[in-house]
Amino acid sequence: MTTQIVGILFDGLAFGMLLFVLSVGLSVTLGLMNFINLAHGSFAMIGGYVTLTLMREGGWPFLATLPAAFVITALISVAFERTLFRRLYRSTALNQVLLTIGLVFVSAAIAAYFYGTVQQPIQVPDYLRGSHEIAGVSFATYRLFLLVVALFLVALLIGGLEYTRFGARIRAAVDDQRMARGLGIDVDSVFAVTFALGSGLAGLGGALAIEIVGLDPSFGFHYLVFMLIVVAVGGLGSVGGSFAAAALLGIFDVAGKYYVPALGSFLIYIVLIVLLFVRPRGLFGKR
Amino acid sequence: MADPLLSLKNVQAGYGESIVLDGISLDIEEDGSLSVLGRNGVGKSTLLLTIMGFTNVSAGTVTWRGKDITGWLPHKRARAGIGWVSQERDIFPSLTVEENLTVAASPGRWDLKAVYDLFPRLAERRTNMGNHLSGGEQQMLTIARTLMTNPAILLLDEPLEGLAPIVVEELTAAIERMNDQEKMALVLVEQHASVALALTEQALVIERGAAAWAGASGDLVKDQALIDRYIGLNLTGQAKAG
Repeated sequence: MTTQIVGILFDGLAFGMLLFVLSVGLSVTLGLMNFINLAHGSFAMIGGYVTLTLMREGGWPFLATLPAAFVITALISVAFERTLFRRLYRSTALNQVLLTIGLVFVSAAIAAYFYGTVQQPIQVPDYLRGSHEIAGVSFATYRLFLLVVALFLVALLIGGLEYTRFGARIRAAVDDQRMARGLGIDVDSVFAVTFALGSGLAGLGGALAIEIVGLDPSFGFHYLVFMLIVVAVGGLGSVGGSFAAAALLGIFDVAGKYYVPALGSFLIYIVLIVLLFVRPRGLFGKR
Repeated sequence: MADPLLSLKNVQAGYGESIVLDGISLDIEEDGSLSVLGRNGVGKSTLLLTIMGFTNVSAGTVTWRGKDITGWLPHKRARAGIGWVSQERDIFPSLTVEENLTVAASPGRWDLKAVYDLFPRLAERRTNMGNHLSGGEQQMLTIARTLMTNPAILLLDEPLEGLAPIVVEELTAAIERMNDQEKMALVLVEQHASVALALTEQALVIERGAAAWAGASGDLVKDQALIDRYIGLNLTGQAKAG
């Protein structure tokens, strides 16, 4: 019984960590610019296909493709930000939603054209396969790896946001954009860099996700829901909030599917509704 | 004659389609100082926002050291040396006092040590979050934060509004020092005409977005009838403020 609960908690946590890497960029950019980027999931999908292509066509080792997934996705996202997104910063939420959801459709069609609509598996290296047994509970190695990566990223992001000048500028721009500009902070550049880093993280998340949830052209739609829940529950622009929300969401999703299969994936929506009734601004949200 | 530090020529400006300022002109020299007076809602804050580049300028030009900056973005103006202290005292609440000071700092005469010497109370609260400060401390922090960008001109928007008399005295002394000793140019928007006029050489009285009177502060101080007409009594000014 206990081992089962520990096992489910672990699996849920690992899934939550994946959701964290996928979502944290969206939370920061939404909090910073109030730009509703529903194509964030598509950036994650790009990262997935980068890893897939490099492994399959280039023969790259899995771990080496992860930085590439980050960098290539970040660069592609900046191209979109400079050419399309920035035109709608001062536009209505509806226009932003229409543009970015349109991009999700386009990206799904492009992915289907080049890679087909079936799930694309990858072969992770042997040292990430199998499992470790600790105190009678078996922990899948890949999920342990996810946990380590996510904790490392949390430390990096919180450290970067809280203890660097650039992080202070991001927080200042989130707090009060007008005052930040008035003091000489180039808010647009701060946003472009932050946006690239956030999208890059989504790309990394997409690459990490292949082994757990697979990769197909509908990735951008499917995981958008999870991303939005993480952002809504965690609170805009909060790294710690995104982390807690992603962990909660992962655990409830896995536990729900295991214990109440009839409810299936609906449990997380119930949790979302209850949480937002109690705390409308999310767990750590300021607005 | 050299170009003035900051110059506005027949500036018409506002927000969106609406026009708030209509035909404002002014010149400020390197160590000049100007009071901007007038009743609430005549466009005093809009004048500072226009100098910073936050409004739509539909006619006229803003020049800085002889360069036309009418189309410049606010952050570029701030980096060129225009220091703005907004009326709202908008401290960044997610930043500590010290981070508020350093986030936009640029090297120069004003560094952490210099602003802590000027406002010792900020030094005591350096690790507090920006929103855990009294009104007076917040005002000191916004002024110190702008000083840290080492501006050539300081635009102060009602810096004494709603503060205790002792804090007003402290801030007034600091503002005077900035202009007299540090030779920093000053534009001071105020409701309290007597305080503002004592701190500045020049004065501009705005009435419905246009200049109603411009001249030496010393002349305006003597003309109580004019002050009553355009600015109202200090007491009513205080009551209306906020």
